[in-house]
Amino acid sequence: MPPKSEAHAASTTTTGATQFDPSSDSIDPIFHILRVLPFSFLRPPRLRLKLPTFTLPSAMTVYSLILLTYFMVVSGIVYDVIVEPPGIGSTQDRLTGAVRPVVFLPGRVNGQYIIEGLSSGFMFVLGGVGIVLLDLALDKNRAKSVKVSYASAGVSFVAISYVMSMLFVRIKIPAYLR
Amino acid sequence: MEKSATDLLTSPGVSSLFKSLKLKTKQQELLIRVTILFLVYVLAFITRLFSVLRYESMIHEFDPYFNYRVTQFLTEKGFYEFWNWFDSESWYPLGRIIGGTLYPGLMVTAALIYWTIRFLRFSVHIREVCVLTAPFFASNTTLVAYFFGKELWDTGAGLVAAVLIAICPGYISRSVAGSYDNEGVAIFALLLTFYLFVKAVNTGSLAWALASAFGYFYMVSAWGGYVFIINLIPLYVMVLLIVGRYSMRLYVAYNCTYILGMLLAMQIRFVGFQHVQSGEHMAAMGVFFLMQVFYFLDWVKHSLNDPKLFHTFLRITVTCAVGLGAIALGVGTASGYISPWTGRFYSLLDPTYAKDHIPIIASVSEHQPTAWSSFMFDFHILLLLFPAGLYFCFKRLSDATIFIVMYGLTSMYFAGVMVRLILVATPAVCLISAIAVSATIKNLTQLVRAKSKASHSASGKGTTSSKASSKGSLDQSLPFQRNGAIALLLGAFYLLSRYAIHCTWVTSEAYSSPSIVLAARGAHGNRVIFDDYREAYFWLRQNTPPDAKVMSWWDYGYQITAMGNRTVIVDNNTWNNTHIATVGRAMSSYEDEAYEIMRSLDVDYVLVVFGGVTGYSSDDINKFLWMVRIGGGVFPVIKEPDYLVNGEYRVDKGAAPKMLNCLMYKLSYYRFGELTTEYGKPPGYDRARGVEIGNKDIKLEYLEEAFTTSNWIVRIYKVKPPNNRW
Repeated sequence: MPPKSEAHAASTTTTGATQFDPSSDSIDPIFHILRVLPFSFLRPPRLRLKLPTFTLPSAMTVYSLILLTYFMVVSGIVYDVIVEPPGIGSTQDRLTGAVRPVVFLPGRVNGQYIIEGLSSGFMFVLGGVGIVLLDLALDKNRAKSVKVSYASAGVSFVAISYVMSMLFVRIKIPAYLR
Repeated sequence: MEKSATDLLTSPGVSSLFKSLKLKTKQQELLIRVTILFLVYVLAFITRLFSVLRYESMIHEFDPYFNYRVTQFLTEKGFYEFWNWFDSESWYPLGRIIGGTLYPGLMVTAALIYWTIRFLRFSVHIREVCVLTAPFFASNTTLVAYFFGKELWDTGAGLVAAVLIAICPGYISRSVAGSYDNEGVAIFALLLTFYLFVKAVNTGSLAWALASAFGYFYMVSAWGGYVFIINLIPLYVMVLLIVGRYSMRLYVAYNCTYILGMLLAMQIRFVGFQHVQSGEHMAAMGVFFLMQVFYFLDWVKHSLNDPKLFHTFLRITVTCAVGLGAIALGVGTASGYISPWTGRFYSLLDPTYAKDHIPIIASVSEHQPTAWSSFMFDFHILLLLFPAGLYFCFKRLSDATIFIVMYGLTSMYFAGVMVRLILVATPAVCLISAIAVSATIKNLTQLVRAKSKASHSASGKGTTSSKASSKGSLDQSLPFQRNGAIALLLGAFYLLSRYAIHCTWVTSEAYSSPSIVLAARGAHGNRVIFDDYREAYFWLRQNTPPDAKVMSWWDYGYQITAMGNRTVIVDNNTWNNTHIATVGRAMSSYEDEAYEIMRSLDVDYVLVVFGGVTGYSSDDINKFLWMVRIGGGVFPVIKEPDYLVNGEYRVDKGAAPKMLNCLMYKLSYYRFGELTTEYGKPPGYDRARGVEIGNKDIKLEYLEEAFTTSNWIVRIYKVKPPNNRW
């Protein structure tokens, strides 16, 4: 009995010793330098901080960020920043003198107002989302009502997006397809 | 089944022929694929021939005339003369080292085609070869797109990608017949390099990596846009490393491509040692060293059995590597060995840079940022399919799909910054849209075909209860789904047919004009052709002494040298900003100051382009403010506010006095005050600006009018020699 308890006490003391002296195991030279230079006379405070761990976002998170970026690029945000067009144009009615707003910049293919750019970009993204919804509607693991609603939403999004895009182009370029 | 098919064809001879030709499904599929690719090849070629059929087989625009002149020289004098050519006919009195300042890929390709055709004893003129080079390479691009699509997704996507890229207006705009410019060949080289690299990463084979290095060499020889490749591929490798897809295949592919590609690229004199000296190429080198570190760490991890030890080792190595890399980059940049990013490419990262600092880059109309309607014009349906295609790529992530997603995103961003770069984005957009189309149509056709399978198997077998219930639920929703799927398929085909109509209309109306020949609708709806440019250049060729020097704005330099065969002061190469600023200063000064400058440059003739009679809006008066800005950038004596009134640019009575008396104004409007251009308007009515000009009584003291074309578009003046001293 006594040798066992002694051995037990000895083992606890040795583990206690190793707990308070981990540096003898490390081969990291930077660690040893730091141990000597500032931390021989400085005492680090007891904090409960944790290094932030870096986890990669999921594929669909990245995809939604990309969709947002695509929306901005295709709306002509770089054009807006550099050329600084007005948000919406204006023209003066010759007879009454009232100022009427003009949404689409007429006359040029490579020119836009800010709002017309954003609305067209939104239409394009809507069309893309519609096709994505169509694909989601074919996933077998969903309830039937959800599938039907996805499919109908997808079809309507694509249809609206195409019709509106064509309408915008026809307003902007009157000679389109003639 | 076969009996009913052969019954339709009545004669027994034909039926026996068909029976002997009976193809298995795999062979039928191959036949369909080959036929589709053949038709797409022909389609890509013939859709680019609009201007050849409407006007004639001639070279378009400005830059292609230089390329044509250089190709002529190459075929006449041979490769060594071409490589060592010093041209004294442009940038008088400086001259230009042509051999060392161009990308020879296009000219060498055209010359090789020309020599091959000549070898087969077809006597064809070099001009025809030059005009048709771009459509030929566009057809080849569709084939590469097919293989690339096959690599990314499956053969269906490859076929759709080939069709989409054959008629996409974004690509057609720079590869139409007659547009003999670097991009026509470069897009083929770009797509080929990317395809070979992705194939190398997928297979890990050294042979494919070697082929990719040679593809990169062809790209470097063809276009300055190769910087995009040498930055996209390292970025792609970085993303793969971050996502945790490091593998031996990637290691082999990237190392072989980078080292061999870099060595081959140094053979082009214009590129020289930029791969080790220029800041734009440092990313590739950094990633190369990072790959070696990864490989080393992998090997150490493999030999070491202790994970804790390996962690410490990892920390030390990464700190050292990053530290060393940063120090090396810092030393290189500070000592000036590594040059910073050039203005052209820096303005892509920071679009506001060019507007404030480099007016020459900002003045080119192709360098303007893109508005939504330009995207729509050049892509149409593909803008809707692109986000959907990205979704499918994210659903099935692999090394290849990660690449195409990165290519698509980076190229779309750059296309947003500069209109001209829509061309680089086109292959990526077509490929990703093809993935969307192929995946959607596959889903829909599976729905259409699923019912017949389920009903057959349900009737054929005595199924268990679970199977019956699942097939039963499928059976419940199916009658709905099958018709819906057929309707959606018809809708998809409708959208694709509208895309084809749009592309053909855009090609015909917007992208098939030669720019050197103008067309307009006359009063009765008939077409009027203005061939003034060629008229003026031919007059120069025949009526001026052979050593005459012509001063004009830099836009027309290449055309004057190629067609007029006369020495010019500045041309489209724009390599010397001070020289261009001197010409700009001459154009914006009063006539006596301009005469001093012209005497110092030995100028004999001055050429201006004037659109006031025809309403042509790309004339020199509309470009005049850029002359002022560029001239004022080097010579502070030229100040832009002197030419504006209340910030407005005018040429009528209310214009600034300096504007009304500068050389450009005088040369454009000389004798114009006596001309009536439009019914019911006073004489001297400028149709391009829509105003009556301010100074009608113009007298020239040091120049005299030599030639004005029939529609007053090009006007040539002779500089008088100095008066005799008495």
